[in-house]
This record gives sequence, structure tokens and C-alpha cells, in this order.
Amino acid sequence: MFKNLKFKNQKMKINELILYSLILFLFSSNVFAQETYSISGVITDKRNGETLFGASIYLEGTTIGVITNEYGFYSLTAPEGEYVLVVSYMGYGEVTKSITISGDQKLNFEIEEASNELDTVVIKGGTSERVSLRKPEMSVSKLNIKTVKQMPVVLGEVDIVKSIQMLPGVTNNGEGSSGFHVRGGAADQNLVLLDEAIIYNTSHLLGFFSVFNADAIKNIKLYKGGIPARFGGRVSSVLDVRQKDGNTKNFGLTGGIGVISSRLAAEGPLFNDKSSFLVAGRGSYAHLILKAANEDNAASFYDLNLKTNYSLSDKNKLYLSGYFGRDVFNFGDSFDASYGNLSGNLRWNHIFNDKLFSNMSLIYSKYDYDLGIQVEEFDWVSSINNYNIKYDLAYYASDKFKLDFGVGSIYYDFDPGRIIPRSDQSSINPLSLDRKKALESSAYINAEHKLSDNLSVQYGVRYSNFIRLGGQSLSDYANNQPVVYNTTLGIYERGVEIGETEYEDGKTIKDFGNLEPRLSLAYQLNEDSSIKMGYSRSAQYIHLLSNTTSVTPLDVWTPSGKFIKPQISDQYALGYFRNFNDKMYSLETEVYYKTTDNRIDYIDGSNLIGNNTIEREILNGESRAYGLELLIRKSRGNFTGWLSYTLSKSEQRTPGGNAGGLGISDGDWYNTAHDRTHDVSLTGVYQLTDKWSFGANMVFQTGRPVTYPNGQYEYEGLSIASYSDRNSDRLPAYHRLDISATYKPNNRPNARWKGEWVFGIYNLYARKNAAAISFAQNIETGANEATRTAVFGIVPSIIYNFKF
Amino acid sequence: MNVYSKVIVFLILFVVVITCVSCEDVIDVDVQTEPSRLTIEASIDWEKGTTGNNQTIKLSTSTPYFSTNTNTNVTGATVSITNDTSGAEFIFVDQNNGTYLANDFVPILNQSYTLNVLYNGEQYSANETLKPVTDVKEIRQSREDGDDENALEVNLIFDDPVDEENYYLFRFKEQGDLLAELESADDEFVNGNEISWWYEKEDDSSTNTEEFKPGDVVNIDFFGISESYYNYISILIEQSESGGLFSSTPVALKGNCINLDNEDNYAYGYFRLTETVTSTYTFQ
Repeated sequence: MFKNLKFKNQKMKINELILYSLILFLFSSNVFAQETYSISGVITDKRNGETLFGASIYLEGTTIGVITNEYGFYSLTAPEGEYVLVVSYMGYGEVTKSITISGDQKLNFEIEEASNELDTVVIKGGTSERVSLRKPEMSVSKLNIKTVKQMPVVLGEVDIVKSIQMLPGVTNNGEGSSGFHVRGGAADQNLVLLDEAIIYNTSHLLGFFSVFNADAIKNIKLYKGGIPARFGGRVSSVLDVRQKDGNTKNFGLTGGIGVISSRLAAEGPLFNDKSSFLVAGRGSYAHLILKAANEDNAASFYDLNLKTNYSLSDKNKLYLSGYFGRDVFNFGDSFDASYGNLSGNLRWNHIFNDKLFSNMSLIYSKYDYDLGIQVEEFDWVSSINNYNIKYDLAYYASDKFKLDFGVGSIYYDFDPGRIIPRSDQSSINPLSLDRKKALESSAYINAEHKLSDNLSVQYGVRYSNFIRLGGQSLSDYANNQPVVYNTTLGIYERGVEIGETEYEDGKTIKDFGNLEPRLSLAYQLNEDSSIKMGYSRSAQYIHLLSNTTSVTPLDVWTPSGKFIKPQISDQYALGYFRNFNDKMYSLETEVYYKTTDNRIDYIDGSNLIGNNTIEREILNGESRAYGLELLIRKSRGNFTGWLSYTLSKSEQRTPGGNAGGLGISDGDWYNTAHDRTHDVSLTGVYQLTDKWSFGANMVFQTGRPVTYPNGQYEYEGLSIASYSDRNSDRLPAYHRLDISATYKPNNRPNARWKGEWVFGIYNLYARKNAAAISFAQNIETGANEATRTAVFGIVPSIIYNFKF
Repeated sequence: MNVYSKVIVFLILFVVVITCVSCEDVIDVDVQTEPSRLTIEASIDWEKGTTGNNQTIKLSTSTPYFSTNTNTNVTGATVSITNDTSGAEFIFVDQNNGTYLANDFVPILNQSYTLNVLYNGEQYSANETLKPVTDVKEIRQSREDGDDENALEVNLIFDDPVDEENYYLFRFKEQGDLLAELESADDEFVNGNEISWWYEKEDDSSTNTEEFKPGDVVNIDFFGISESYYNYISILIEQSESGGLFSSTPVALKGNCINLDNEDNYAYGYFRLTETVTSTYTFQ
């Protein structure tokens, strides 16, 4: 498969040239006045040896400071002299050290988690905020896994995807739906990475659980905008999830026993501390809830996380990580289905010198499903596979200048669907839709540049190139119109196929190139406040085909090509950030405006599954979203938590274009299904005593846009509904309150076994939030009725977590 | 019989399973109301073995979605159908109850016809071709073929013609039921095969629905339909229950009856011409 990676394209070379000249320009513009030296090293957790991502290291009394990267590595440069070096990390005790800088040196630090029973470690608030005020990085939400674990959740299972929905600008499409939406974007516009591997489906059991096992996760970072140039391929957001490396000090077990599922993780050192490992597994006891409804039906999930690393030397370290997850369903004798993600990743960290850090990754990931239709005796299978190679470098040029750059390439293999008869008796004929292949390559360079004490800028550019490869034939259409507007009937119809063009294996069907500039700057107004602004452009070359209200596990991805153009989005954001009360409180506000070109929508009655000619079902449109986000956080004291509020609008419009006609909804703007005018969430944790803590979540959201009937007429003796304009109605407002209590019995500091009970109630006042409202004729009375479907009533839960 | 409809059924089943039973309830919802439209139900169905001379067209008006007003009959309209080749015109006579009758209609397979309706000073028109249907080989009952292995179902067995694309409409109605059930099919994945199309009912106490039992009588109508009518009726069937968790966004369904005087004031309904096999089956 990798032979295709050799593919080069003229345009790409030109742009590489531009990039390299840009690098030269940046270096030459940078003046090195005084004799400076570098300090570099790795920051780890003292208890388990895990490297810490996002810890800050700075020289007291100066503006010189940096933040550790994903591998805990830092490098800072300072002029000769005496300094006090401070290492701090949210929730950890601060470490200070007097140093004399008179040459390059290597300093590793181990820092210790501040536990509540040890008041001796005072968390000097704000040290990490101090840097973040200066840092041009914006529209980013970081969540500590510890915070996530304290939030109340449905069925007691810690859920990263649900936790991020408590942040401003992030929503879901209602209960019982998978995926999430960022700043009015669609679910397929999020790049979800687990240790750099692309995850295509973030949910188990359609949104009941996330695919991320909290025991195996170290960090979660969500980029809602201002996406750094090293990420690309999706236009809405990046959810960067990193797995733990495994305890390098002691062997340990963590786990939890819950009502629906249980989990267990083992970690420990290997080969004389040169290596460590983590294995985490999780599974549901299937059938509990479902059995009650109908004994023939069953649903279950399981997943497995693996991670190990090996230090070849001080400068070379290898990481291997993997994930495998699966959902399995059985509906009596009629259907069975299973689907899930699989990913594997090999990485090589190499430190060239104090200033230059590099990482090379080889990544494979796959999503597939298998739907068995027992009555007709056939299987319907589909998958997306990708092979990804990337090389990233970070150059810590000076105390004012850091450069990230790298290249990458992803080879995609799409299997849009195959029918496999289970027996000779099946009345269905075997069928294979054409496999689709594509190569997405990129190169980027990004600089973090401190222009003055108050002004920092991050600027960069990414060049992406997408080649849709041959090995299939494509239909030709009359007048080159896959979709045609029927002017007589006023509807969009499938175009007329007049022939086929065969594209040989390895030949290019269509290629695209996009230059994606990214820019953000931070201006610090005073010690406690700053203003930031940003602009970013991103391109997305693969699209999830889904015309249902919520995305489903059976939706199919399709690449850009002859008929589908890449989505291009431009986002502008402006923000104001402020710390209060000695950094006990913080306020983050942002406004954003985002446009996306080439967002596809579907013609009436579109058929997206089992269809070789998807281009006959879609029209190219555009979308736009804008909003205001507010986040007030209290990060210290017995009570911690945050209040988030989002005011936003998300719309799309789909003109007829090449097909003719005015377009969907007459070419007017209409609400996307993920438009939410108001979205308020409040989440808090109160530490009552060493043993007891309490948490609560409150959510209020404007109802989801939907399409209701606006009339009825009689046809075939039935009442047939006519429908209003697309998404011009709304479900009732969504709101609920969840509470949880955590009890840690007998927490002696030295005890090896540590356990805790988490009691929770989801939807405390048992509101029947409509996940959907369906309209139909009552088959007994013939009257039209609206039926509300609420997925969860009040859901109590209990779970026992342990550490050994 | 297509994969897509199976996937939809799977997703509907999924919703049924994840949803707690008590969490479904009928509620009051405010909906928008659009101005009333003319509805033309011009279903010219030629039953095999008959002359097909007697045909009925129904005209009515649309009402607000939750309206229980059943008196929507349209009288005073002028209705006729023309054979596009011979120019022969068949006048449908107003019965003053919303129906218009003709007793001299001459059906010809694969012949195209034009419908003309004059109502409220506006001219409506539609064009369609009469499609043949293959013979029904057998109707039999079984238990193991349907979704539920223990429930009785009726099977309609026919051979799909191999040389052409075929589209089918099925109408099942148990005697005593208020509403018929419509199903549509194309032969994309089963071209040229012997097709056994089954229909079964499931126990549902909330709607007093029961599985078929011996003695139950079910009326079965089997139609050959055009591709454009198949597209229309498939959306209509899919949207007969709309707004579910995984159902596609409902659309404003346009039929083939256009308004020649005022394009926006198109009519609901459809002018279809089919050949049909009508049967009755009594469960043993």
C-alpha cells in the first residue's frame, strides 16, 4: 500500500520551496544579541513517572518560560546569569530551584501531585495561567483527567466526550446520539486523535459511553479554533487525547466495578526502568438493560488500550500504543451487528540536541462495521482504513522563538460496502461497491514568537495536498450533471448515466492543494488580563455521508474527488482573558465567526448506503457559524468548577449550482441540526471532608432544530403529513441536573489499596428531554399524534473504583 | 429489499432497544400551518383480468396537521385523462362527494397519459405511463421467514423480470384494520430472482396490534409502478412516521401534479397508472 506514498506532485514541490524559504526568513529575522544557553529536560510525575504535558517551566522575575510538549520535554533559552527556576503544573506542588546558567544543561524534574489531605503542599494558583495569558494559543480547552473523573456521569462511567460537552462551544445532538459538535460544526468535522491515531467513532452504544477509557488516558486537549499548523484534515476541531505511558516506578492496578460495565488497568516498569507498560480493558455485562425490554435483544461493548515505551538512550525513546474497541448487537433472529475502531502506533522520539526535538510516527487506524441481516441471509460490511506516516520537529531557537515543523502523509482505503450472502439460499445477489483510494500529504511550519514582553504571536502555514487515486471507474453523466433539477416537477433528481471512465490503479483521478495559514496573537494588558485574536484556515478532504438527524455507526466516509470538493473553512476569533482574586477565578470570553465552503447536503429521498454513485444524491453547499462563548472557572478551594455559556448560530445553504434550480430550501440559509441559540452548563465539585466530595452538573440548551409537519392530506386512505422548511422548528428546550457523591473510606496515605465509591444520579428531576419527537397516525383511531422519545429518565448509578 | 431500508429498520430497532418503555409518550406540540392545497389522488389501477374501464379520482384539500376535520372533499372541479398517443379523452364525472368517476377508461400497458384538473380557476396537469406487473406465482404462509420466527407471515411469491428495472408497490390490509400498510421495492439487488415478499404483524399492546392467527384475512394488492412514482411513494412511506432519532430529515414531498397557472401552488398527491394483482389470503 505504501508504494503510493511515493506519489509526488509538482504543486507540492513548489509549496515546499515556499515553506523552506519561509523558515530561512524567520531565522534571519531573529537577532541573537547576548550569549544564551539552553536548559532542557523532561518533567515527570514523582508518583508514577508519567511524563507531564503542559507543565510550565519559567525563570522567576523574567518573561522567559515554556510549556512541556506531549512527551514532557521542554527546552528554554536564557542569557547567562543566576535565576530561580520554577516548575508548576495544575494540581501539582510547585518546585523551585536556584540555578546558574553558564552553559547548556539538562535538568529533569519530578513533581508531586497535591493531594487534599496534605495541606502542606500549597498550590500557588495561577502559575500555569501566568504563561497561558501570554501564550497566543486560544480557543483551546484542556481538561485534567482528575477533573473529568469527579464530574457526575450517566451510569457512573467516566466519559471524556460528555465532559467536553460541558465546555462552551461544544454540544451533542441529544441523548442517544454519538459524536459531538464544536462551534456549530458537524460531527465529521472533528479530528479525534488517540495517541495520534484517527478515531472515526467516539461512542460506544450510540453515545452511552465514550470510546476513551479514563484509566488509560493522561490528557485531553480540545482545539475549537486556532488549530496549530501541525494539525489538519478537519475543519471544525481537534480532540487530542493522549494515553498514559504506564507507571515507571511501581506495578499498579486500577479498576472499577459498575452496574453496566467494569474496567481494569495494569501498569508498571519493565527492563530495569528502561521501559514501562499499560494495559487497560473495559467491558459491559451486555444485556442487562436491554434484556429487560425484550429478552431476544442484546447489546454490549468492550475495548482494550495498550501502551508501552522503551528508552534506547537519553536521546532516543520508542513508544508503541494500540486501541481496539467493539460494539456488538443482537436483535433476536433478525439482525446482528458489530462495529468499532482499531488503531496502532509506533513512535520514535529523538532529541538531536538541547534545542531540537523530533518525533516520527507510523500509524494505522481502521473503522469498520458488519451488519448481519439474518432473515435475508446476508452481511453488509463497510470500512475505512488509513496508514499514516509523519515526522514532526520542534526547534527551541531562543527564549523568544520556537519553531514547529514537519511533514506527513496519510493513505486512505475506503470500502464503502459489500453484500456477502450467508448462504446459497439468500435471495440477495453479492455486490461490492467500488473501493476508493486517496493520499493526503502535508507539510507545515509554525512559529511561536515573543515580539515584546506583552506581545506574542503564533504564525504558521500548512500545505495540504489530496490525491484521489484510481483503481476504479466513475460514471459519466449527461451534461456532466450527476444531479439534475427537474424544472417541471420542481425536484432534484438523479442524473442520467451515459457511460463510464476507467481510472487505472495508481493513476490520479483528481488532486487538490490548499495553503492553510494559521495566525494568532496574544497581547497582555496587565498582570491579570490579556486579549487574543486568531485566524485559521483548514481543509477537509473526507466527508461522512449522513442524512439522518444524528450520525450513526453505519454512516460511510467518502473522499473528495471528481464530484465532491474539499471543505475549506476560515475562522476568525477574538478573546479576552482575565484572572481574578489572586488567580482563584478566571474568565475566558471569545467571539468567533466561521465559514465553510463545499459542505455537502442531500437531495430529497437520498439513498446513501449501498450506493456506488453518491454524487447523484448530493449537492455542494456552504455553512457558517458565529457565536459568543463565556467561561468562568474557579480553580482553587474546597469548591471548584465552572460556568459556561454559549450564544451561537449555525446555518447552511445549498444552492442548486451545476444541477440547476434554486437549491435545497430554495437556496436560502437554514439552521443546521446542531444550531443551539443558548447553551449553559454549570459544573462543580465540593470537597466536604477528606472522605466525602460532591459533584453536580446542570445543563440548559435551546432545543435542536427539526422539521415538523405543517399540514396533512388524505392519500391511499392514510393521513399524509406535509412538512415545513428544513429545520425550521425546534424540539423543546433541553435541561437536566445530575449529582454525584464520592466516598473514599479509610484513606491512609500509605495504604497500598485505595478504593472509592461513586454514587450518582443522572437527570435528578427526571425530566423527559425529547431526544426526538416523531409524528404518525395512530393506527387505532386514525388521528395524528406527536410522540416524544426520551432516552434517559432518572438514572441512579453506583460504581466502585480501586487502585492497587 | 434494498440495503438502505434494512439499515433504517436496524436503526429503528436500535432506538426501540435503547429507549426505556416509559420514556415514550404522546404529547401536544405546536406546529406550523401552511395554506391549504389541492390533493389529487388519481390512482388508475388496472386489475389484471378486468377491463379497467371503471376508474375513480379523488380530490380533497389539505388541512392543519392536527385537524380532525374530515370534510375536505373538493367538488365542482373538471377532471379528465387523455391518451397521449391517440388523443382519446376520458371525462371523470363529479359525484359531488370528492370523487370523480369514469366508466369508459381504456388502459393500455406502457402507454403515457395526461391528467387535467381545473379547480378554482387554475389548471393542474400531470403526465405518467401505465406500468405492467408480473404475475403472482403463489401466496403462502410461514413462520420462520419474518422478523419474528414464531409469528405467522404471509408470503407473496413472484419472478422478477430479468431484462428490465422493476419497481413494485405492495398494499397489505388485514380485514378489520383501519389503515393499510404500504411497502415499496426495487429489483436493484435481486434482479431476475424469484422474490418472496413477506408481511407480518407484531404484538403491540399499546396499539392493540396482534400477530396473525389462523382465520385472519388479509387483502394484498401488488402493483407495478414507474421509477418516479417509486421515488415518490418510498419517501411517503418513510415519512409516514417522521422525526425519529435516526430517521432522515423529512422533506416537502412533491408529486407529479403541477399547477400550470401558479407554479408554487402545486397539488399534493400523484397521478399514477399501474397494473395490479389483487388477492385475499386467509391464514390457516
